[in-house]
Order: sequence, then C-alpha cells, then structure tokens
Amino acid sequence: MNTRGNKAALVVVVFLLFALTAWAGGESEVQKVNFQLNWKITGDHAPYYVAQEKGWFAEEGLEVNIIIGQGSGYTVQAVDMGKAELGISDAPVPIKGRAQGANVKIVGIVFDKHPNCMFFWKDSGITEPRDIAGRTVAVPAADGHKVMWPAFARLIGVDPDSVDFVNIEPSAKVAALASKSADAVFELYTGKPFMEKAIPPEKLGYFIWADYGFNAYAHSIIARDDVIEENPELVRSFLKAAYRGWDYTLKNPKEAIAILAKYHPINQDDYLANLMVVMDFFKTDRYKNFGIGYIDPDRMETTIDLVRRYQGVDIPFEPEEMYTSEFLPDPMYKYNW
Amino acid sequence: MKAVVLSVKGFIIRFFVRHYTKILSLAAFLLLWQLVITVFGIKQFIIPSPLATFSTLFVPEIAQRYNWLLHIRTTVSEVLISFAVTAASGIFVALLITWSKALRRIITPVLTLLNSLPKIAFAPLFLIWFGYGLVPNVIIAVLIAFFPVVINTATGLSAVEEDLLDLVRYLHASKPQIFLKIRIPNSLPYIFSGLKISTTLCVVGAIVGEFVASASGLGYLLKDAQAMIDSPPMFASLILISIFGLSLFAAISILERLAMPWQDRVKES
Amino acid sequence: MRQPIRQEPRGIGKALKRHYPSVLVVFVLFLVWQAAVWVFSIPEYVLPSPITSLGHLFVRQPDAFYNWKLQISTTVSEVLISFAVTAAAGILLAILIAWSQWLRNLIMPFFIFVNSLPLIAIAPIILLWFGYGLFTNILIAFLVSFFPVIINTTTGLGEVDDDLIDLVRYLKASKWQIFLKIRIPNSLPYIFSGLKIASTMCVVGAIVGEFVASDRGLGYIVINSQFTMDTPPIFAALIVVSLLGVALFGFVSLVERIAMPWRQSETLAV
Repeated sequence: MNTRGNKAALVVVVFLLFALTAWAGGESEVQKVNFQLNWKITGDHAPYYVAQEKGWFAEEGLEVNIIIGQGSGYTVQAVDMGKAELGISDAPVPIKGRAQGANVKIVGIVFDKHPNCMFFWKDSGITEPRDIAGRTVAVPAADGHKVMWPAFARLIGVDPDSVDFVNIEPSAKVAALASKSADAVFELYTGKPFMEKAIPPEKLGYFIWADYGFNAYAHSIIARDDVIEENPELVRSFLKAAYRGWDYTLKNPKEAIAILAKYHPINQDDYLANLMVVMDFFKTDRYKNFGIGYIDPDRMETTIDLVRRYQGVDIPFEPEEMYTSEFLPDPMYKYNW
Repeated sequence: MKAVVLSVKGFIIRFFVRHYTKILSLAAFLLLWQLVITVFGIKQFIIPSPLATFSTLFVPEIAQRYNWLLHIRTTVSEVLISFAVTAASGIFVALLITWSKALRRIITPVLTLLNSLPKIAFAPLFLIWFGYGLVPNVIIAVLIAFFPVVINTATGLSAVEEDLLDLVRYLHASKPQIFLKIRIPNSLPYIFSGLKISTTLCVVGAIVGEFVASASGLGYLLKDAQAMIDSPPMFASLILISIFGLSLFAAISILERLAMPWQDRVKES
Repeated sequence: MRQPIRQEPRGIGKALKRHYPSVLVVFVLFLVWQAAVWVFSIPEYVLPSPITSLGHLFVRQPDAFYNWKLQISTTVSEVLISFAVTAAAGILLAILIAWSQWLRNLIMPFFIFVNSLPLIAIAPIILLWFGYGLFTNILIAFLVSFFPVIINTTTGLGEVDDDLIDLVRYLKASKWQIFLKIRIPNSLPYIFSGLKIASTMCVVGAIVGEFVASDRGLGYIVINSQFTMDTPPIFAALIVVSLLGVALFGFVSLVERIAMPWRQSETLAV
C-alpha cells in the first residue's frame, strides 16, 4: 500500500474518533426545563433564582429557564401545551383546568397559609368580614380572590351576589382603595407594604381570609402528566432544588432579594418587605413538622370540593389524581420558625 | 304587489351576489377556526370550538348565566359616545392646527407625545381622577382613537394643490373662504379614512377602559372569563367586540359613499 | 396683488429655528407637571415629579439597578424593526387589495376583525403559539399598527380624479401603468399620513407587547415596577417612550418632506 493511502486512512480514522467522542460527549446529562411563573416577578419568586444562582439546579443536572408569567390560567395552559414542564399556579385553577381536560397535577405547595385578604379603610364602618355585604369591592379579575369569593362568602355568612364587583387593572389595586373608588380591595396580604405606601397603617384595615376559616390551597407547583410519567426524576430533581432554594430564602431573605435583583430590575427594599410578609404564610405547624411544600390530603380535598361547588364544574376524577406528594424532597426541608 | 315581492327578492339576490366574497370569507374563517382546533388537537379550555362559543350566546340555558344584554349595552354605549366625541373633537383640533401654524407647532408635539404612551399604564391615575363607569371609559377610548382623526384630517386640509391655492389667492380669496370651499371638501377622503381607523380604535379603547376599571361591559366579562379559564364566553366576547368594530367600520363606509358619491365606484368596497 | 406664499426656512439651522417652539412646548409640559406635583401635593405613588423620575433615569439608585441601556436598546430595536415591517407590509398589502377588488372583499373584513380585538387580551394566546422573544413583540406591534397604513394607502390609491383615469384609459394605458404612474404617486400624502399615525401606534404596540411577553425593555420596567408601586422608574420609562414616539413621528415627517418637496410649505409636520 502506498503511504498516501495510509495517511488518508489515518486521517479518516482520527476524524471518526473525534466525531465519536463529540457525539458521546454531546449527549450531555443536563436536562432543559422550562419553569412557568404565575405572574411578573414578586418576592416569592426569589427562591428559584437563588437555586439558579447557587447552582443547585445544575447540581441536579437541570438547566432551568424561568419564564415570566401571565396569570395562573396561562400557566395551566402553557404547561398543558408543553411550553413548560412545570409552573406555578393558584390551586383552584389547575383543578378546574384538569376538569376541563388539562393534564396537570399539583406536585408541591408554595403558600401554606392562604394569603387572600381584603383591605379597607378603618373609618369606612367595616368592622368584621360580614360588613362587606352590599359594598363595592375592587379586584383584578385574574386574581384568585374573585374565583374563590363565593366560597369565602358562604363561610362568613354573606350572599356572594350582595357585593358589587369592580374589575380593575392589577396596577390600580392601591389606587382603588386610596381614592375610595371602592369600599374594599381584595388583594394578597403580601401586598400590604404597598398598600401602606398610600394608606397609613393605622387607618388600613384588613381581614386575612385564612383567619376566618378559609382553608383552601393557593399557589402551588404543577407539572404535566406525561412529564411525571416519563421523566419522574426531572420533577423530583427540580422540586429538590426549588425547595432548597426556599429553605435558603427563608433563612436569608435579604440575600435572596439581592440575588433576585441580579436577574431583574427590582427595588430591593420594596421586594424585601414583600418577602418578609410572604414568610409569614410559611410559618405554620404543617411546614414546621412536615416540611416546606407538604401537601395535606384533607386540605386538597377541601380545595377540590370548593371548586366543584362554586365553579360549576364537574370533577370527573378522584382527589388523588389531582396531586402527588411523591416528588417532594426526601428529607423535606422543615421550617423551624 | 308583485313588483314589491320581486324587488325584495331581487334585493336579497343582489345583496348576496354583491357581498358573496364577504360571506365567503366569513365561512372560510369559521371553517379555519374549527380546522385549526381539530388538526392541532387544541383543547377546549385553550381555544373553544365555534359551536361552543356561539352556544354561550344563543343557547338560552347557557346564555342567561352571562347577562349579555347588560354587558353589550355598556360597551356599545361607550363605543358610540366615544366615537362621536372623537370625530367631533378630532376634526375640530385638526381645523385649529391647520388654521394656525403657531397652534400646530404647539399642539402636534404634545399630541404625539401623549399618543405614544400606552393608556393602560395610567390605570391608577385614571381610577383616582375619574373613578370607574361610562365617563372614564369614554375618556380613555377618545384618548386612544383621537390621534388618527387629527393627523388625517389635518393632512387632508393641508394637502391642497399649490397651483390651486395660488390661483384663488390671486383672485383675492380670503383664508376662511379657502378653508370652506377648498380645504374642507378636499379633505373629505382623508377625514373618512381617519374615521375608519378610529372605529376600531374606539372599540379597543372602550375595552381598554373596561380593563382599567369597570363593573360591566364585554371587557369586564372577558376578564372574568379569562381568569376562570372559561374559554367559550371569553371568545364569544371577543367575537362580539369584533362585530362592533366591523359594524361601525361598515357604517362609516356607507356614510363615506353617501357623502362622496362621485368616487370611482369600482374602487369602493 | 399676488400674495407671496410664505416659504419655510431651509437647512439645518433654519430647521432648528422652526422646531424650537416644539421643544419649548415639551419643556413647558415638564414644568407644568412639576408644578402640579408641588402645588397639589400629589403623593409619589400616584404621580412622581419629573425630577424624581428623571433622577431614576440618570442617577444610579442605591437599591435598584434598572439597566436602562439594555431596556432602552431593546425597546428601540423592537420599535424600529416593527415600524419597518409595518410600513413595508402595510403598503404592499394595501397595493394588493387595491389592485383586486375581490381580494379586498375577502381580506378586509379579516383585517378589521383583527384590529378590533384588544391586543392585551389576545396576547396570551399569541404567546402560547409563538412563545417569548423578539418575534412575538414585533408581531404584536405590527398587529397594532398595520391598520392605519392599509386604510390610508388604499384610500389614497383609490382617490384619483375619475377624469384623469378615463383619459389615460382612452389612451390605452394598462391597469399596471395606471397604478405605477398615477395611483401610487397620488397616494403619497395618504401613505405618509398613515405612517405618521402608525409611528406612535408602533411605539404603543411594542410597549404593550413588552407588558405581556417580555422580560426586558421599557414596558417591562413599567409592568414590573407597578407591583411595588415604584412609580419613578415607571414614569422615567414613559418619558423615554413618549420621546421615542416623537422621534419616530419626526423621522417620518422628515422623509415626507424629502419625498414630496413640492408640499414644502403645507405639510403637517412636527
């Protein structure tokens, strides 16, 4: 054989070897995950960025793309359509979604105590929740408050239709109350620091729904059925890193906000105030004893029942199909507050 | 008697023949809608079928849940009132700025500045200053729809042939005379074009106003439905909103044809 | 006695002289805004003063980093690209539907239909389809601003003197020739008017697109800061946005002046 032929053969072999290694190496172990938030950036989104920044997602072999949200309804649609593998959504919404054919399940909880709240001027004559009857309430339509109102109304003994609702832009929540265009505003308690920018704390009255017996679940993490079936490790790894992020955030809120500020143009003082209030809704016995993200079967059944009764949907599935606790971190991160 | 029947029948036939492409496009649209859902397997709660959507409007048991008449009445009155205000004030301001160069230098930049701002960003301010209801919604709709009428009308008033102006000035025509007899008639096509643009903007503006703050209206209903992922009434609201836009546009087109019958008929829709 | 038509001053220096009233007006607006905030003691969460807002734009804030360069460049590129697309596609589509009456009857209702829909309600659906990114933002801005261009251009193409058309048809001019040599030049004032309207709408469309479908840009600053009622950056962003609209409008006016110099003294410009 001539040397030229040998050289050519050598080149080809070397090339093939390179290609082989490249192919084998290219088959990386990093999985891409799209995580759909429920809204624009708020303090309670910090933990996921903490996990990102500290490399905890990467440790689990995940490359997470955190996507800004458009509301709980959009998250259900996006996850169901495959735009995201996981997302945050207010519990009643995926429940209703599943009843309408969305293949989503709740895999972890965010807020343990329900943060729904009603704000009002103390001098408006409202002294207990029942006084809301016959009044005007301003609420952004997409908030969970309007969706769950009939349930809460029955709890406090008020006819749900006795309240006049005014739909408002989310940005106008504070303005609506400050200008007295409405007697009350339904807003998450986590928005209290911003209410107080307009209304002095001593004049601002509020009732947290959970304090009056409202026992449903709120923000939760959801995942798609086929992801759960075909790639359970992905869900498990994600939740582990995410709740690790929560654990860290609850212990180091200021740093968490500083990390959030690296990714988004936020005012750190305001967001820290927001986060401190968020933490109040994690300070429950459940989270102390069972860990952050724990799903209580009874509460889940209550939530599903509320959706069935007040949303006018048939729930053609068993409660157990709506959620699963099998992907929560093991051991759970307990919140020793 | 026979003549009447014949003419009615003839009218219907002529109507269909003349507008068959529009009816065709409507049918094509509905077909496409259903096709997209079926082919891509889109779930009802993301995009509902035409049948489900129209059921919320026409099937009594379902329709009565939504109190359509109230919401339609609210939105329609907002749209009509804001359109009237837009047309009147838009043309008036255009007259002002064509009449006086000084006013033009002052008003045009202000209008341009204000019109580049998305009104929805001012939701808190609107709520504080105007509360909620018919008035703020009309104000917001006018703010959104006003600019095209001004710009088009002013262009039309200005875009007169130099030679013609030279001629009548030579003949000692006064400024008011020039305005009345030359500029205004010349600007009619521009005015109608501007009004046509404003029709859809008034509709959108009324809905934006309802998004900012409202207790009734199709925008109100749309938001509620969207929040509860109740897609059929949401899409039904969207359809109704578009129908208003189309109707208002058609009305202005008819008005245009009446006002300017000398136009090349072939070119008109 | 023939009255001379007042000629507009020419050249850059003269252009400045012509435009200083507009600049003055903007300045006065700022003063009025500042005065209003002082005189009526308007709280900051309602309306911040222009000084505070501009402060957030130019002075590095201690506990917030807004990255203005990135946000402004994002929005500016969206606006410019979508305006170019709107202008080109709008004029082209208008020529198409003016050419064919049949096509016009088929497509026009669809355009009107699309344009009556409040984009901020449909944007989530668009997002589900096309995902986040520059394309979606440009699409949204396009959907908001294409209509005026089409309406005006079709009107302009149709608005030709019947007698003139009759004359050239008698002279055996083809439809294509009529289009090219008569209709299109005749419609220039209409087209520019449409483009001026579209300029501000492109800006609004881009911002609305960012409200829904973006994690950067001036619109994003607005929507993000609304959560905490952090109004100074909101109004800083809005100031830049409105100036962007004026700039684009002015640019179109400039092009108009160049394209139709014979209308020098009469065009409506900033």
